[in-house]
Amino acid sequence: MVAGVARYARMMGGLARYTLAREMAFRGNFLVKVSVELLWMGILVAFYRVVFAKTSTIAGWSEPDYFFFVGCFFAINGLIETLFLENCNEFAELVRTGDLDFLLLKPIDEQFLISCRKIDWGTAPNLLMGAILMAVALVQKGWTFDPGRVAAFVVTFACGVAIAYSFMMMLTSVSVWMVRNQSLMEMWWLFSSLVRYPREIFSGRGAEMLGRFFTFVVPILLVSNVPADVMVRVLDPGMIAWTVAVAAASLWVSRRFFHVALRSYRSASS
Amino acid sequence: MTPPDVALAPPRPGPLPSLVKYARIFRVALIERMTYRSDFLLGTILRFLPIVTTVLLWRAIYEGSGQAELGGFNYREMIAYLLLTNISRMFSSMPGLAGGIAREVREGTLKRYLIQPLDLLGYLLSSRVAHKVAYITMSFLPYAGLFYLCRGYFDGFPDPLQMLAFVVSLVLAFVVGFYFEASVGMVGFWFLEVTSVLYIVMTLNFFISGHMLPLDLLPQPWSGLLKVLPFQYMAYFPAVVFQGKVRGTELLLHLALELFWAVAFAVLARTLYRAGLKRYSAFGG
Repeated sequence: MVAGVARYARMMGGLARYTLAREMAFRGNFLVKVSVELLWMGILVAFYRVVFAKTSTIAGWSEPDYFFFVGCFFAINGLIETLFLENCNEFAELVRTGDLDFLLLKPIDEQFLISCRKIDWGTAPNLLMGAILMAVALVQKGWTFDPGRVAAFVVTFACGVAIAYSFMMMLTSVSVWMVRNQSLMEMWWLFSSLVRYPREIFSGRGAEMLGRFFTFVVPILLVSNVPADVMVRVLDPGMIAWTVAVAAASLWVSRRFFHVALRSYRSASS
Repeated sequence: MTPPDVALAPPRPGPLPSLVKYARIFRVALIERMTYRSDFLLGTILRFLPIVTTVLLWRAIYEGSGQAELGGFNYREMIAYLLLTNISRMFSSMPGLAGGIAREVREGTLKRYLIQPLDLLGYLLSSRVAHKVAYITMSFLPYAGLFYLCRGYFDGFPDPLQMLAFVVSLVLAFVVGFYFEASVGMVGFWFLEVTSVLYIVMTLNFFISGHMLPLDLLPQPWSGLLKVLPFQYMAYFPAVVFQGKVRGTELLLHLALELFWAVAFAVLARTLYRAGLKRYSAFGG
């Protein structure tokens, strides 16, 4: 078990070095990619600055709290994009062309190889940008250091990444049956629109049910909400426990789902 | 009696065969689009999620502000506006167009347009119209359902003349969007890798076209500046036309300006294409 973990950690390190070397071969492209992310963050900040010029709270979130949430979302999303999105995006093409055979034949876990093959270093600075936004928001809020909250944040942040990864894995697996022609990137962008806003906006008739649905049945809302909540709003142990449980369960379910999908892979046209 | 040598010469393609040619391209692209139906359907369903969250976000914003109007839009108008920009984008967004052109240049497949009696921009335009027709037809029912559900946000249909202006603004939005993206794609003749530049342009366009929020909400001078630029015609303008926020001579003036930008981008795309072909060296392929 320990040897296995060490082996995969080593492999991950090797892949990280290799992809970084490739990325640095095209430094200009890397810089442009980073500037796109910076621009996107700038647009988000501009958007919410415009909105907060007209109001003082959104769904009970004050401006600094809200910006902390945005930073948290940005960091989680950045991590997902850096580690998994590009890989999952290529999966449909691997299925369609039958090139998936070559990956399945390798003596490594299929899910690891398919979802962690490449690291997209261009989006890695998003983690830093998100962290800076979170730090600025905390300073503006006048937040006092609380180790309990920080620990809860770190745990739920990791759980958020795990939950988002699981959902992405399931969305990816579906392409075995569907033979995708739309990009997973776009699908993911649409789906992750649920993660982008605080859970509290789901209020009023109908919406409340929808909010509960996406918290307890398809618990995608937990991803950026719970870490932001425990850090700047309420520290709810029940919610933390639920998030940890969901993270573990969704990892397991998505892995099973992925294997079921692989069984339907027909290795056509290879 | 025609002399035999004239009869043997290949017939010059008249306007009708040329039209048939592009109609065939349209048909093939339509069939291609319909091949992956289930994936297309899933994509269409997922497309509604951001709409739902956006409506909820703006409701929270209006509730938080305690004001009835923000930037001249009340809550109902704001939601109607954001729904309508989805219609604008349905016409003006061109996923993959610029990237596709750049790829043809980079991989050298562009030469098939040079050796065949086929114009690159004409080909792309007719296949893009097919994709749009397929997309708009497929999403007509879901969108009709959505607008029916959201009918409370609208004050009924605008009068026929305004409706006509709306349709014209949408068609022009398609032309502006198409030639704008095509022009961006032509940059591929000068730079081999344009996908990243493309991302910058598209990201920025998302905001400055008014897709995220009405341009009126921005503080001056930004809102005035963005209303002078052509990007507003890809999202903001058709929406406010439908809402009757632009009327009379102002409406006519803006329609004329939209037409101007459509023609200007068409000329730009053609000019860049011609200039690009002079540099083109048909690598690969």
